[in-house]
Amino acid sequence: MRMNRGFAAACLACCATWGTVAAQDKAGDGLAIGRQMLAEDNPGELWIEQGKALFHGLRGPRKASLERCDFGMGPGKLEGAAAQLPRYFADTDKVQDLESRLLTCMVQIQGFQHEDIVKRAVSPAGSNGSDVEALALYITSRSNGMKMNPPLSHVKEREAYKAGEYLFFRRSGQTDFGCVQCHGEANKRIRLQDLLHMTDKKGAQEVASTWPAYRGGHYVIRTMQWRLYDCFWQMRLPELKYGSDTSIALISYLHHQGSGVVIKVPGFKR
Amino acid sequence: MRKSWMKGMLLFAPALIAVGCASYPDEATTRGLAEKMVSTDFTAPTPALLNRLVQDRSQQICSKIADAKLTQEEAAEVVKLARASIRYPSGGLVGDWKIGDKLAHNGAGGRIQRGQLEKRKENGGLCQNCHALAPGEINVGNIGPSLTGYGSQRGNSEPVAKLTYERIYNGWAYAPCSNMPRLGATGHLTPEQITHLVAYLIDPQSPINQKK
Repeated sequence: MRMNRGFAAACLACCATWGTVAAQDKAGDGLAIGRQMLAEDNPGELWIEQGKALFHGLRGPRKASLERCDFGMGPGKLEGAAAQLPRYFADTDKVQDLESRLLTCMVQIQGFQHEDIVKRAVSPAGSNGSDVEALALYITSRSNGMKMNPPLSHVKEREAYKAGEYLFFRRSGQTDFGCVQCHGEANKRIRLQDLLHMTDKKGAQEVASTWPAYRGGHYVIRTMQWRLYDCFWQMRLPELKYGSDTSIALISYLHHQGSGVVIKVPGFKR
Repeated sequence: MRKSWMKGMLLFAPALIAVGCASYPDEATTRGLAEKMVSTDFTAPTPALLNRLVQDRSQQICSKIADAKLTQEEAAEVVKLARASIRYPSGGLVGDWKIGDKLAHNGAGGRIQRGQLEKRKENGGLCQNCHALAPGEINVGNIGPSLTGYGSQRGNSEPVAKLTYERIYNGWAYAPCSNMPRLGATGHLTPEQITHLVAYLIDPQSPINQKK
């Protein structure tokens, strides 16, 4: 195991090219100060307990808890699990992110219908939020204080990472957009909204450490799957399927680009 | 001490590179995997809308990964395709700046959500998302260059109107693979809409050309 990690680290070091870390001093930015003040009193915390109750509760047609669900550290073991996702799972023979893994367990262990969960996964703004949103937050919060460090030891993990990189730069549609058109440079904005510089280590680390997040404008918890879906919507592209391989590949790429960052959820977004 | 450590690194580095890097899939494999994902992982109300994911030749060329550079031949091909794509309206190239002003600040149209295509009379020009516009406007993006004073700086001659029209219709004719969407060539805007944006940019009466 140690050898494997060493290899993965060496591999990353020799293959990946990190952008230089740009020092962004936002002390004078009034908007940034406002966001900081809001983040210090994050209402998203309220959903952690709800997620915990949902995780341990006997739910679904099979009246089962998620305590048998394996997020990579063993059944029911959540400490540090989200810090090593996406990763390869032998039972599904797939690389999975947190949310697609959660789907697998809710279907296989609790007996929920896949379509039903997906239909409700993203809650309406201003609602009480969805089960998946609360669960994803609770599970990720059990990696708070730990460093993002997903494995690259399995061939499919390396494939997902490279596919994600390819997709990040892939341009299509009537706006000719790929992810990189908005997220490839420092200090850029769409109107007043700051954009993260994700080809830079520091920007990618912001992504890898702050989702799920409380979204101020929606009054609910939003997840990484939602974030990606919403980007494709704004790019005028078709609808990204919840938990799809495309989404998992992009998350693999972003989490590896941002590896080493200490996880702190819920994040706070405008 | 330090020297021997470096010597050790030098000896091991090629081995690590050979073993470590070889284990990533090659470019063709990666493309195959990723394109298969794209073909199965999205939904749209009609097959035509799903086709938005299919890349044309220029988009393929312009999707360079990380620090990969566009070759001279590729840039020339993108420019050639862009020039060939430009269509002109039946009337003049300079429309109504007031309509253009509204269009420039309209960021809606053409999005797909919950199985529905966003219903609008027309697509917005999206300009405000990325460009500074009239002096004193705060809610503007900065992905593209500032357009404040565009016409004051360049005038409103016929060549300026033509160049402006072409740069909006398909800017890749001048800056291959730039971040600027090929708004006319991809069908996001109509030629007539673009003439109004041209007017908004170059008309001396337009707010974009006023002093603050």
